[in-house]
Amino acid sequence: MLRKEDRRHLAGASTFVADLRLPRMRDIAFVRSPAAHGCIVSIEKPTGRENSVFTLEDLQPLNPISGGPEIATFRNATYPPLADEKVLFVGQTIAMCIGTNRASAEDLAADVIVEIDELAAVVDAIDALTDEAPLLHEDWPDNSFIDATITEGDIAAVRDAPVKIRRQLKMNRQATNPLETRGVVAYQDHRLDELVVYSSTQGPHVMRHGLALALGLPEHKIRVVAPDVGGGFGGKNRLMPEEIAVAALAMKVDHPVRWIEDRNEHLVASIQAREHHYDLTLYSTAEGRVLGIEGSVHVDAGAFALWPSGPFMETGMAARNLPGSYTIEHLHIRTHTVATNKAPIGPYRGVARPGACFAIERMIDELADELGCCPVEIRRRNLVQPTMMPYRTAGGLRLDNGDYPKALAHALEMIDLPKLRERQRKGEPDGRKLGVGFAVYTEQSGHGTLEWVKRKSRVVPGFESATIRMLPDGTINLLVGIQSHGQGLETSLSQIAAQELGVDPSSILVRHGDTGLSPQGFGTFASRSIVFSGGAVAKASRALATKIKAIGAQLLQVPAADVTLRDGAVQSSSGQIPIADIARAANIRPELLPAGTAPGLEATETYEPPESGGVFSYGVHAVTLLSHPVTGVTEIIDYVIVEDCGTLINPMIVDGQIIGGVAQGIGTALYEELPYDENGQPTATTYGDYMIPCAPEIPNFRIKHMVTPAESTEFGVKGMGEGGAIAPPAAIANALNDAHRDCKAKFLVTPMTPRRVSDTVADALARENAE
Amino acid sequence: MVEVKLTVNDQEEAVFVDARDSLSDLLREKLQLTGMHVGCDHGACGACTVHLDGTPVRSCIVLAARCDGSKVRTIEGTRNDAMMDIVRRHFHEKHALQCGFCTPGMLMMSIDIISRYGVPSENQVRSELSGQICRCTGYMGIVAAIQAAAREINGNGDN
Repeated sequence: MLRKEDRRHLAGASTFVADLRLPRMRDIAFVRSPAAHGCIVSIEKPTGRENSVFTLEDLQPLNPISGGPEIATFRNATYPPLADEKVLFVGQTIAMCIGTNRASAEDLAADVIVEIDELAAVVDAIDALTDEAPLLHEDWPDNSFIDATITEGDIAAVRDAPVKIRRQLKMNRQATNPLETRGVVAYQDHRLDELVVYSSTQGPHVMRHGLALALGLPEHKIRVVAPDVGGGFGGKNRLMPEEIAVAALAMKVDHPVRWIEDRNEHLVASIQAREHHYDLTLYSTAEGRVLGIEGSVHVDAGAFALWPSGPFMETGMAARNLPGSYTIEHLHIRTHTVATNKAPIGPYRGVARPGACFAIERMIDELADELGCCPVEIRRRNLVQPTMMPYRTAGGLRLDNGDYPKALAHALEMIDLPKLRERQRKGEPDGRKLGVGFAVYTEQSGHGTLEWVKRKSRVVPGFESATIRMLPDGTINLLVGIQSHGQGLETSLSQIAAQELGVDPSSILVRHGDTGLSPQGFGTFASRSIVFSGGAVAKASRALATKIKAIGAQLLQVPAADVTLRDGAVQSSSGQIPIADIARAANIRPELLPAGTAPGLEATETYEPPESGGVFSYGVHAVTLLSHPVTGVTEIIDYVIVEDCGTLINPMIVDGQIIGGVAQGIGTALYEELPYDENGQPTATTYGDYMIPCAPEIPNFRIKHMVTPAESTEFGVKGMGEGGAIAPPAAIANALNDAHRDCKAKFLVTPMTPRRVSDTVADALARENAE
Repeated sequence: MVEVKLTVNDQEEAVFVDARDSLSDLLREKLQLTGMHVGCDHGACGACTVHLDGTPVRSCIVLAARCDGSKVRTIEGTRNDAMMDIVRRHFHEKHALQCGFCTPGMLMMSIDIISRYGVPSENQVRSELSGQICRCTGYMGIVAAIQAAAREINGNGDN
């Protein structure tokens, strides 16, 4: 089914936050820290304009709110909406200025004089933990939010394995970069006695809760609306200082206020992601059977813990996903979640797993190189077999079902490896090197209460809810607590309800993203919406269907068990009644209802999947590329994806999610990086420096679906929104490794920009010559 | 302030702008034509693409004051355009949009590509889209939609 959402977007008639027009609305510009680390000495407002400039003091009363897991050993640092004592990264908000438009607000911001006593900046997560490192938070003993050890089995038992490989790997820092930046419009609605906050967010209900905590308002006096949201990818799923500050300001002034993040603000001060350092040792038998992994993961978490979850989940997930899809029994990983003078990290499509997948899949290829074995064969020897499912990995994840070896076999069939090897042997006429790389990934999705409790999450997104309401003419409003920002859930959720009720999807209007309309929900993230919200919609639809059928059966004078809903009618062997007639009776002509039937056609249900550990989509990516050894330019000439996400509700949307995810993964692999210099200054502050792949950089994709329905979810669905982004850095790095195997160039750092590839090859050649 | 008289979607408009205002400021903030979006505000993402005197431009880096006497066409001006309706239909059928934020700019670029190339090759389409960022779709549907629309509009030539 084609998407319902498309019409308004194609007409240029959608409404994003920046498209809202309210009378007397004023624009906000933030004064942001130019220093990475320092103490604020003074903030001087321009004379005569004091009333248009706001500092933290001016926004009081505000409650400091803490992000991060509810663990005693997690050191907390409140992220203030505006800094008043210290600044901890370049771009941190210090003051806000009101103007008649953004330009005049920026003029005013430029005239605010902030004096800062600068301190030395902490920019490297490993150096940050040395005794010499300056402290970000003076009441902490060091710069670590939390240190932990993830351990399973007995690593000491395999330390004398015949094959040991130690590698240091790094996945660098990224911004999430939805094309629509963040934005907030807030005002007081005096008629309804509520503070209205329009925000480009993935989870309006959770944001309302956070705002209520921060502003000290009762929750029923806040309405959060996410209108059309132009992509999120995780980057719009934390309560950010600007949202609190703009909402607080709306309570101080008598007009709507608007802040639209510009791209520079996005790159320096929005949610940042990744930046994992791995130092791993892999133990294997001489036959390439991997026994264990040991080492450390440092996650460069930035200066603060974002509400609600903070950065710890990133580190834990990185460590727990290191065994990947393999039967590795022994795991011992020390993790460090490290505070640095950079913008705080948060979730970004794949959360931790692109780094973990990069690390394990690179290690597997390094093992293949060490043993002189084919990377495919090494994988075959170590993959979890279908007969072992459900399989608990050494990382404690329960891989529910699927056939990983078959997925690998399909990928091989699709690429014709012998032919590619032959081409590789012959060489390319232009001197480029052909490389083929594989990566296997899993994607935990639809995980429920126990899993989030295990992660010590402050907010436990363990269920979703749906209200389905049939109107007098038989059309339907479907209200859900998720937030669709490109995933097409207005379409797929209406498909589910339509199937359960035997009506046409066009008679269903899905409403989401508005706490004033929808029942409690958590929003769209963690590949959860089709599992959770799809389940809630199915349950609510069935509850409604039961009532419709009961009424219909009574009117048809047959047992309720003998009727079905199909083609917009209650059907029985003795006749049919249009659902619209029942809707009319139930809503506006109650005298037509059978005696004893309560009027109204509405149902609200919550749903949590029974398997709290989630269901795992998985897949294999096979990349063929050409790499220029001198310029370092990579051209992807074939990209094959074999994936299994259980039952597909809308195959077109599923493919769209896969392709879009892989495109972002290619960005992670080859282009996107937020570097900081030694003073903590970000050096990618525009799209001139931060490279986002465009159409010439992204290839066509060939996709094969396997369908192993999940056993625990409604319809057998599994979430799959993130999987595409997980495997590409691993697969592409392995392909580059394959392309340059003859000179032993090692690709252990993302992104593999032309410069990095060129340098890596040059270094390898120099090493080879020296030997 | 500078007065700018221009024709927007066949309507004559006269607006006062600051010398530093961009065409995107003029269209979105003065004329409330919010169909196209501003994604980067420094001419790199293409979301704000409109046609200025028949040529696609990134309206965020065109000064409004230099548009005096110009003809501007925005996505709103294409709502009854038969050729754009074909492009729209193929975008819809090929899943060439997800969040929709880049879509109006993509469409304005698409009809320009089709006008100039007739039936462009895949490489031509990809190359011409090098200034348009879509963060959601991975471009595959967009490229396919433009090619399919071009074939429908201009026949099956290889160009």
